[in-house]
Amino acid sequence: MTNYVLQAEDVAIHYGGVKALDGVALTLEKGQIRGLIGPNGAGKSTVIDAITGRRRLTRGRIVLLSDDVSALGVVERRARGLSRSFQRTSVFSEMTVWRQVELASHKMGVIDSANDAEAVLRELDLWNLRDQTAQDLGYGEQRRLDLALALVGRPKVLLLDEPMAGLSVKESLDLAQHLKKLTSTWDVSVLLVEHDMDVVFGISDAVTVFELGRVIASGAPADVRANPRVREAYLGSAA
Amino acid sequence: MKKSLLGALLALTLGGVVSVLVSSNTLLSLLTQAIIYAVFALGVGVLLKQNGMVSFGHALFFGGASYLIGVLLQMQRIPAEWVIVLALLTITLAAFLIGLVIVRVPGVAFGMLTLAIGQMFFLTASRARGLTGGADGMNIEWPSHLFGVSMSQMLKPASMFLTCWTTLVVVMLLLAWLMSTRFGSLTEAVRDNEERARFIGIRTLLPRAAVYALSALVTGVAGVLSALNTGFVSPESLHWSLSGVALMMVVVGGFKALWGPAAGAVVYFLFKEILGEHATHWMTIFGITLIAVIVFSPTGVAGLFERWVLGKKPSVKVGGH
Repeated sequence: MTNYVLQAEDVAIHYGGVKALDGVALTLEKGQIRGLIGPNGAGKSTVIDAITGRRRLTRGRIVLLSDDVSALGVVERRARGLSRSFQRTSVFSEMTVWRQVELASHKMGVIDSANDAEAVLRELDLWNLRDQTAQDLGYGEQRRLDLALALVGRPKVLLLDEPMAGLSVKESLDLAQHLKKLTSTWDVSVLLVEHDMDVVFGISDAVTVFELGRVIASGAPADVRANPRVREAYLGSAA
Repeated sequence: MKKSLLGALLALTLGGVVSVLVSSNTLLSLLTQAIIYAVFALGVGVLLKQNGMVSFGHALFFGGASYLIGVLLQMQRIPAEWVIVLALLTITLAAFLIGLVIVRVPGVAFGMLTLAIGQMFFLTASRARGLTGGADGMNIEWPSHLFGVSMSQMLKPASMFLTCWTTLVVVMLLLAWLMSTRFGSLTEAVRDNEERARFIGIRTLLPRAAVYALSALVTGVAGVLSALNTGFVSPESLHWSLSGVALMMVVVGGFKALWGPAAGAVVYFLFKEILGEHATHWMTIFGITLIAVIVFSPTGVAGLFERWVLGKKPSVKVGGH
C-alpha cells in the first residue's frame, strides 16, 4: 500500500460559473517532492489554498495522514502538520527574525521552541541574522525567513508557492538544494509550485501539470517532460 | 526590561521633584490634566500600536469609567476602592465583548463602529437624567478617605499631580513589560500580517479583542483619574470629539514608541496653554501642526526623537498581504 501523507480527491473550487479548480486529484508520498507546473491562472496556487484551508472547497476532500481535514480551518491544519509559504514574501516585517520564528515554533506546541527555532535558522543560514528585523533583510533572506516560518514545528507537508520567485540563479540553486535535503533530514514532503523548470525537473520526484483548473498530466519528471500535451500546453518546444 | 525599570525609577523621582519644586497650583493642575490625557492617549495608542486599529470611540471607556464610579458611589453599597476596581473590570470586560464583534472588521469600518458605539452611550448618558444627571452631568461623591489617604490631602494639586504621574509611569512600565512577553510578540505578529499569523497557528480574534480590552482598561484608568481630579462627569466626556483629541495626541506623539502618545498629550496641552492665551483659534494652528506631522514625520514626535537623537532608521513595511 502506498504511503501517502497527503491526498486531494476530486477537489473543485467554483466561483459562480468560473471553475478555478475542477476535479483535481493529487497525492504526495512520504519524503517526496511533487512539482506543480502550468501556465499562469492554471490553478496551482489555488490548489495550495484549497489544501491549506485558505479557500473553501466546492467539492472534494483533503486527506492528511489518513485524516479528512476538509472541514478544518487553517490553524487546525497547520497544527496537524500542513504548512505553507506564500507567492509574495509573507513575514512579520517589524519583528526580529528570532522573535517571529521562536513565536511560530511556540505556537506549534514545540516545548523547546528556542531549540527548534535555532535549528531552523541554522538550517536556512539565518542564524547570524536573528537579531535583525525582517524589513532590514535582503529579498533572498526574506524568502528564506518565509520558509523558516513554515518549517518550525517540523511539519509533515510543506506547500511552497513559488519560493524561488525573484531570487538570483545562485540563490535559487541553494534553496533547491536545501529543499532536497530537507525531505530526507527533516522528514518532510513537499508540494512545490514553481516556474523555474530547471528547479522543478531537477529536484522533483513527481510532477503534476495544470491547465485551466484541471490536471492534464502527472507522473515522473521524464514522462511529464515527454508528454506531447504538456509540451503543447506549457513547456513548448524548448523543453 | 531593566532599562524600563531604571527609566521608571528616574521618572518617579522626577515626578517627586516636580511636585515639591513647583509651587504654582495652576501649573500643577495643568500638568495633572495633561498627564490624565496622556494616560487616555496611551490607551488609544496601544490599540494602534498592537492592533493597527484606529478608534474614534475610546471616550466611551474614559467617560464610562467616570460614570460607573459616579453611579456606584451614589448607591453607597461598595467601598470606593472596590468601586474603582469594579469600574475598571466592567470597562475591560465590556470592551472585550465588544471587541470580539468589532475587531473582525478592518480599517475605516472598524473606526466607524467605534464611533457609533461611543455615540450610542453618549446619547444614553445625555438622556438618562435619573441615573446620570443627563446633559448637566453628575457630581462624583468620593468618601472622606481613599486607600487610607484623606481626600482633602489627595486633592491638593501637588498630591494629585504625583498620583497621576505615578499612575502614568506604572501603566507605561506594565505595558512595556506586557509588550516584551509572548503576548506582545503574538499581538505584534497579528498586527503585522494577520494571514501569516494564522498560518503559523495563531487564532487571531482573541488577541485582537484582548488588545482592544487592554486599551480600554488603560483609557478607563484615565477616566478614574479624571473622576478623582474633577469630581464631576458629563456626557462631553463620552463624546467622539474627545476620542478625536486623544487620537490627535497619538498622531502627534507617534504610536510606534510606547511613550509617543504621552508625548503627544504634552505637546497638545502646551499648544493649548501657550497658544490659547494669544490666539482664540489655537486649534487651527494645532491642526496645521498635525498635518505637518502626518506629512513629514508619520511616526510623530517620538519617531523624530528616535531618528535624530537615537539614530534609528525609519521603518519600511514589507511582507504583508
